[in-house]
Amino acid sequence: MSLHIIQTEIMAMEKRRRLYSMACIVLIAAVLISGYGLANDLNSGGFLTGMQQFFDYPSEIVKEAWAAGFSFFLVMGRFVPALVETLNIAGAASIVGGALAVVLAFLGSANLGVNPPVVITIVRRIMDIMRAFPELILALFLIFILGSSPVPAMIAVAFHTAGALGKLFSEVNENADADPVEGLASCGATWLQRMRYGVLPQVLPNYLSYFMLRFEINVRASAILGFVGAGGIGMELRRTIGWGKGAGDETAALFMLLILSIFVIDQLSSFIRRRLVTGRDSE
Amino acid sequence: MKIAELTKTFGKITAVDTVSFSIDQPQMVGVIGPSGAGKSTMLRMINRLTDATQGSIRINDREILALTGREKRRWQRDCAMIFQQFNLVPRLNVVTNVLMGRLNGHSTIKSLFCVFGRHMVEEALAALDRLGIADQALQRAETLSGGQQQRVAIARALMQTPKMVLADEPIASLDPLSAEKVMNSLREIRDRDNLTVICNLHTLDTARTYCDRVIGMLEGRIVFDDLPEKLTPSVVRDIYGANEELNESVTSTAIFKPGVEPDSGQPTPALTPLAANG
Amino acid sequence: MTSSTLAIQPPAPVTGSLTVFSRIRRNSLLVMAGTGLTILYLLYTFISFDVWDLLSRSKPQRAVLLATDAVAHKVHVTKTIRGAGGLSIAVEGERTATYETPPGWVTVSDDLTRVDLAEGYRVDISGTHVIFQIPDLGPIHVRITDTGIETILPEGVDPPDWLRATPAKFDARPTIGRRVQVSKARIEVHRYFMGWENFFFPFRSELAVYSPGQLFSLAFSDQRLDPDMPNWRLMATTFWNNPGWQHKQVFIALLETFLMAVLGTITAALVGLPLAILAAANFTPAQALRFAVRRLFDFLRGIDMLIWSLIFIRAFGLGPLTGALAIAFTDTGSLGKLFSEALEGVNKKQMEGVNATGANRLQFYRFGVIPQIIPVFVSQTLYYLEANVRSATIIGALGAGGIGLMLVEAMNTQRHWENVFYLILLTISLVMVMDTVSAKLRNRLIHGRSGI
Repeated sequence: MSLHIIQTEIMAMEKRRRLYSMACIVLIAAVLISGYGLANDLNSGGFLTGMQQFFDYPSEIVKEAWAAGFSFFLVMGRFVPALVETLNIAGAASIVGGALAVVLAFLGSANLGVNPPVVITIVRRIMDIMRAFPELILALFLIFILGSSPVPAMIAVAFHTAGALGKLFSEVNENADADPVEGLASCGATWLQRMRYGVLPQVLPNYLSYFMLRFEINVRASAILGFVGAGGIGMELRRTIGWGKGAGDETAALFMLLILSIFVIDQLSSFIRRRLVTGRDSE
Repeated sequence: MKIAELTKTFGKITAVDTVSFSIDQPQMVGVIGPSGAGKSTMLRMINRLTDATQGSIRINDREILALTGREKRRWQRDCAMIFQQFNLVPRLNVVTNVLMGRLNGHSTIKSLFCVFGRHMVEEALAALDRLGIADQALQRAETLSGGQQQRVAIARALMQTPKMVLADEPIASLDPLSAEKVMNSLREIRDRDNLTVICNLHTLDTARTYCDRVIGMLEGRIVFDDLPEKLTPSVVRDIYGANEELNESVTSTAIFKPGVEPDSGQPTPALTPLAANG
Repeated sequence: MTSSTLAIQPPAPVTGSLTVFSRIRRNSLLVMAGTGLTILYLLYTFISFDVWDLLSRSKPQRAVLLATDAVAHKVHVTKTIRGAGGLSIAVEGERTATYETPPGWVTVSDDLTRVDLAEGYRVDISGTHVIFQIPDLGPIHVRITDTGIETILPEGVDPPDWLRATPAKFDARPTIGRRVQVSKARIEVHRYFMGWENFFFPFRSELAVYSPGQLFSLAFSDQRLDPDMPNWRLMATTFWNNPGWQHKQVFIALLETFLMAVLGTITAALVGLPLAILAAANFTPAQALRFAVRRLFDFLRGIDMLIWSLIFIRAFGLGPLTGALAIAFTDTGSLGKLFSEALEGVNKKQMEGVNATGANRLQFYRFGVIPQIIPVFVSQTLYYLEANVRSATIIGALGAGGIGLMLVEAMNTQRHWENVFYLILLTISLVMVMDTVSAKLRNRLIHGRSGI
C-alpha cells in the first residue's frame, strides 16, 4: 500500500518535472519566434532579402582581393602597424587590468584575513560595477575628452578587465588552501609576505590561464572599439568600409589580418592553458 | 614564561578556560587530552595566531598578549610553531620553504622578488642537513612524504632561530617510523639548543617517552601538570573522561608495539635504538 | 636522551650549497626579469600610444562641461543685434522651448534688459552695451562697435582667467553656472539650473506647469484637458512622445539591444548543442566529421563578432535582427566548443546505465547525457547572455542600431549631454539588471542541483 503511495508520488513528481521542462521549452520557443518576428519588423532590411544579399558583400571583397593579385599581400603588409596597435591596446589593457585585478582580488577574498572585513564587501561591489560597465561607454566618453587615440580604448578595456578578472581571481583565491598562509603567519610574516608566498604560488597557474583567455577576448574588444574611433585595425576598417566600393581589397586584407591574428592567439592561448593544467597534474 | 588565567571563548563555548602554568627553565612539555580539550587553541594563543579572550602570557615581564604589529610578528618568529598538516607551501621547493622562517625582518622588496642572501641559503641548508633532508632541498615540498614534510617544517622552525618551539600534534598524520624521527628531532631541539618545546600529543606513550613534564587538559582546563611518571591509569581516566572505557591503545599510534604495559615507565623494545643512543 | 641519531649526520656538501644558492638566485632573477619586461612593454606602449602628446591635447574642461550639462540645464537669454533684432529666452536655446513671457529673473523695459544671475551677478543689456556686474570685482563694460568688441574692466583689475576678450568675441564664465557671450551678431546670457528640464512633459505641453501633487489629482479627475481621452492617458502619451527626451525611441532602442543579446545567445546555444555532440570524441566516432565540426567552430569564432557584424549590417541593414545574427554566429562557435568540451568530460557510467536499459538513441541522449550537461549548458549560456548585452551595445554602435547607435549619435552631436547621460544610465542599468538576474538564476541552478 505504502509502496503504491510512493509510486504515485514519484509519478506525480515526474509528471510535474516534465511539465516544467515542457513549459520551459515552450517559453523559449515562444521567445524565439516572437523575438525574431519583432526583430524582423524592427530591422530596416528583412530576413529574406537579407539572406539573398548575404554573400554579396563577402564575394565582392573577395573578388576585389583576387583582382589585386600579389599586391594583396602588400596591402596586408601595409596594415600590420594597425594590427600591432590593436594588439598593443589589448596587451597593455590586459596587463594593467590584470595587475589591478590581482590587487582587487586579494582585497576582495573572504579567506585572506583582510582587515577590516568591510573592505571585502566594498571591493567586491567595485569589481561588480567595473565588470558590468560597458566598455563602449567608457571608450566613447574618453574619446570625447582625450580625442581619438588608442589610449581611451586601452583604459576602457583595462577597466572592464580589472573587474572581470578580479572576480575570477578572487574565486580562485577563495579555493586556495589556508594552511600555508597560517604556517607563514606563525613565522611572523607580514600580510604581503603571506600573500606572496602562501597564496600566490597556489593560484598563479589559474591566474595565468584566465589571463590568457582574457587577452584573447581583449584583442577582439580592442579591434571592435577601434571602429568607434580608438585607433588600430578597427579604425582602418571603418575608413575602408566608409569608402564604399573600390576599397574591397583593403577591407579583405584587414579581415584577413584580424582573422589570422585571432586564430594564432586562440591556438596559443589554449596551448598555454592546456600546459598549465597538465603541468599541475603531472607534478 | 608565565601563563595566567588564559581563556578563549568562541561564542558560548569556552575552548580554553582560565589556564595557568609557568615554565621556568627549558624543558619539553607534552600536552595531552581528548580532542576538543583546547590544546590547539592554547598553543595558537601563545603564538598569537588566535587572540585570547582573557588572561596573560608574560615572558621576562613582557606581556605577549599585548603585542601588536611588528612586535607581534617578531614574537611569532621567536616562538616557532609546527603544525599537524605541516603548513608548508606545497608548490615552493624545500629550501625556499625553510627560508620562509626568516621572512620576518626581510624587506618587502626583497620578499616580493624572492631575494635571499648566500649566508641565509647556507643556514637553511644546514638546518635541512641537521634533519637529514638536505638532498631534497630543490624538490617541491608537495612531492615529499609526510614525514619529510614535517622535518622541513622543523627546519623552517630552526631557521627562525626561535626562543621556544610549539608543536601542534606534529605526528598525528604520520606513519610510525616518520613519527619517531620527528619526535627525535624535537627532543634534540630541546637538548642541543636548550629550548623549551611545548608539544600537543594525542598519544600517552609518546608523552611519557619524550617529555620532561606532562600537562593534561580536559574541557579547556588543566587537570594534570606533573612529571610523566605520575601518569597513572587513574589519572589518565580522569583526563580522557571517566565513563569511557579507556584502552591505552586507543590513544596510541603504533610507534610502540601493542601490549606494552603503559605505566611501566620503561622504554619498550621498539625504542631500543633511541635508548642506545641516549 | 641527551643526544640523538641526528648527531651522526655528515656535514652539508659545499657543492650542494652552491647549486642550491644559484637556483634560488636564478628564481629571483626570473621574477625580476619578468617584472622588468612587463614594465618595459608598458613603457613601449606608452610611447607608441603617444600618451604625453595625448595628455597635452586632451580637453579636461570637456569633462566638466559634460558633468555639468549632464545634471543641469541652462536657459539662454539671447539678444540678436543684426537682422530683425529682438530678445528670446529659451531652455537650451531651443525654439520649441521659448518663454512667451519672461521668467521672474529677467526684466524687460523699453530700453533695458536686466538678467539677474543670482548671488549678486547681474547683466544689464541696453542696445549694444552690456554691463556684467560681478561681486568683488565690479562691472565689466562690453560694447559692440563697428571696429569690434570693446571690453573695459574696472580700473586696476587684471583680466581674470575665466575671461576671454578679443575684438571678435567676448566670453566670460565667472562660475560654472553663469556665462555671458558677446559677438557682433548677438549677446547671449546663460543661466544654469539643477535638474533635467522637461523630462516628463515637453515645454509647450499644458501639463508642464503642474506640480507632482496636482498631476496626481488631475490624473483621476473627470475634467478632461483633452476631450478625446482621459487625463492619465493624455499624460502617458505626452510623456511617451516627449520630443526632447524621446522616451519612445529610447525604449525601442533598449528593446532592440536586449533582443539582439537574448535572441543571439539562445540561438547560439540551441544550434551549438547538437553541433557540440558531433564534435565530442565520445559521441561521434567519425573522426572526419568531428574534425569538420571543430573547424567550423574555430571558423565562426575566428571571424570575430566585428566582421560578422559588418557583413550582416551590409546584408540586413540596421536593426536587432542584424545584431542577433552576428551574436548567434560568433557564439555558436564559442558555446559549441565549450559544450563539446563539457560533453567529453561527462561520466560514462550514467550513459552506460541508460544504454543497458535498451534505450533508443533519443532516449539515450535524453536520460544519459542531457541531465549531466544541463547545468553547464544553462550556466554558460547565461554567462554569455550577460556578456552579450554589453556586446550588443557595441555592435549597435558599429551600425546595427539599438542603444549603442543612439549613444554614439547623441555623443556626436555634442549638444544634449543630459540625454547622453540618461542613455548611459539606462544602458548601465540594463547591463546590471541582466547581470543580477543571470547570477540569481545560475545560483539557483547550482543550489537546486546540489539540493537534490
